[in-house]
Amino acid sequence: MDLKLCRIFARKLTKLFIINLNNMRNLNNMRVFLSLMIAVAFTINISAQNSRRDSINNPNYQVNTAQRLLNGNINTKGVTVGGYAELTYNRKEAKNAELDVQRLVLLFGYKFDDRTQFITEIEFEHVNEVYVEQAFLQYSVSDNVNLRAGLMLVPMGIINEYHEPTTFNGVERPSIDGAIIPTTWREIGVGVSGRYNEASLRYQAYIFNGFESTTFDADGTTIVGNLGGSKGLRGGRQKGAKSTMNNINFSGKVDYYGIPGLRLGLSGYFGRTQSPVELEATAGADVGLAMLGFDARYAYKRFTARGQFINGNISDSEAYNNLTGKDLGSQIQGYYLEAAYNLLPQNKRQQLFGFVRFEDFDTHAATEGSLLRKESYDRQEWTLGLSYKIARGAVVKADYQFKDNAVVGSETVGQLNFGVGVWF
Amino acid sequence: MILKRFLSLSIIGLSFLLVSFTLPNKLLKKVNKEVTTVFEITNFQLKLISIEDSINNQLVKKIGNDHLYKIESDSEIIGFAYIDKAPSHTAEFDYLILLDPNLIVAKTKILIYREDYGGEIGSKRWLKQFIGKKPSDKLRYEEDIIAISGATISANSMTNAMNQFLQNLEILQTNNVL
Repeated sequence: MDLKLCRIFARKLTKLFIINLNNMRNLNNMRVFLSLMIAVAFTINISAQNSRRDSINNPNYQVNTAQRLLNGNINTKGVTVGGYAELTYNRKEAKNAELDVQRLVLLFGYKFDDRTQFITEIEFEHVNEVYVEQAFLQYSVSDNVNLRAGLMLVPMGIINEYHEPTTFNGVERPSIDGAIIPTTWREIGVGVSGRYNEASLRYQAYIFNGFESTTFDADGTTIVGNLGGSKGLRGGRQKGAKSTMNNINFSGKVDYYGIPGLRLGLSGYFGRTQSPVELEATAGADVGLAMLGFDARYAYKRFTARGQFINGNISDSEAYNNLTGKDLGSQIQGYYLEAAYNLLPQNKRQQLFGFVRFEDFDTHAATEGSLLRKESYDRQEWTLGLSYKIARGAVVKADYQFKDNAVVGSETVGQLNFGVGVWF
Repeated sequence: MILKRFLSLSIIGLSFLLVSFTLPNKLLKKVNKEVTTVFEITNFQLKLISIEDSINNQLVKKIGNDHLYKIESDSEIIGFAYIDKAPSHTAEFDYLILLDPNLIVAKTKILIYREDYGGEIGSKRWLKQFIGKKPSDKLRYEEDIIAISGATISANSMTNAMNQFLQNLEILQTNNVL
């Protein structure tokens, strides 16, 4: 039946065509012919457009995602591509230098519509370790309220959220943003974020999956503790990789940017760590965590300064240490202060910041039970250096660090660092 | 009958002329709200200013055909409005600049900001720095305009956008467009 109809239609069409060719001078038929031509042209056009999307129809238009990005669709068709990278040279006193592609992070974003977007950052650490640093879906309910779900950064202090190499001085991130705040600290969760420009406030509030404090070893017999004295909570990060969850954690931050040049942040993180189901009833399988952070950043003309203070209280650390044989402190705490000055005149495109930073942090700020505070965990560091911003998104860094601890008679260890950083 | 038809057609045509914005409704609403508060007026019309190609080509940044408006109340010009986009780190934001009749910046506002990073440029207190600027002014980020930590790219972008617009104003002024 359909075939018959088609044939009839085709015949009529041919007839029409012939008539038109024969009577080109006839105005009426000319009109019909023209409209027919327009219709045909239109159809061809539509199919050409379709084939650009659907490459099966026409291999000439075959493009892959990378080409689509390169074709200049970035930022206009909803696709965003970006990234940052840190290449470092570290030489600790009495040790050989280490050269490292410390981080290479590729950002991809897609805006489905004006309200819905997906953001992901794929991270390569030390060339061959692959992580997903962020991957979340955001839905804007209104100008002031965005809902988010996925793998997100925990808002604590400055560096965990703002860690692109052109945004901070020093080849290495501040040490406190490693030992006290385990940057890059990210977990899977849901939450809400937004800002009120009338009040110059930004807020974030999330429910996260937390640190994993205990696991079993490969045999499934021995209990392994992931948290410890020297690195604090760092070993407990699950990073969204098959992470276990049995306790909910809350995280929030408020930023105030109402005084020009100044930005203040207050962050909080509260909850309990995670443990396997076989262990969760055992005393010491998990610990409670309450962390508070205060940070400030200031910029005026050629001068910039920043600082942060972090205090983390860990409950049940005694039971935890008894169960796992670890030396986790009951309080971790630290602060840093940094000042920098642009040595180049302000009318220059490039900037050369000379900076100095002092850090004081202790992963045994307090201990519970029989655990003695380890003086070597009470650390002080000076960093002196230069950040040469050769372009807005490209920086060459050099600095020297003096690392000391509270052990009586301990020697200060020096470390020389060079680095290249980009952000685009 | 024909007269009626003509009338209704001309009404439709006229309303198209008057409402010749291609601005999305969401933006228009925000612009209207700002005009109302800044100029303390409720009865006003936004009228497109058309710029000839010959003049537009001279501009530092071409002004699109739905970007620059004069604000009229009782057929008196009470100010000007300029709406445009500028780049943030990974997206674009929409901003508004309101001028008084002497072409002095009366207000700037970020109408829509589309990414998380750098949204601090929407801060009322920060944007206040642009108020009072005039066509001959040149602004330098971090020198005339105070930086925002954690929003460098967008703050710089907004400063650039302001500079371009102020330069454009000067050119438009000398060509008697404004």
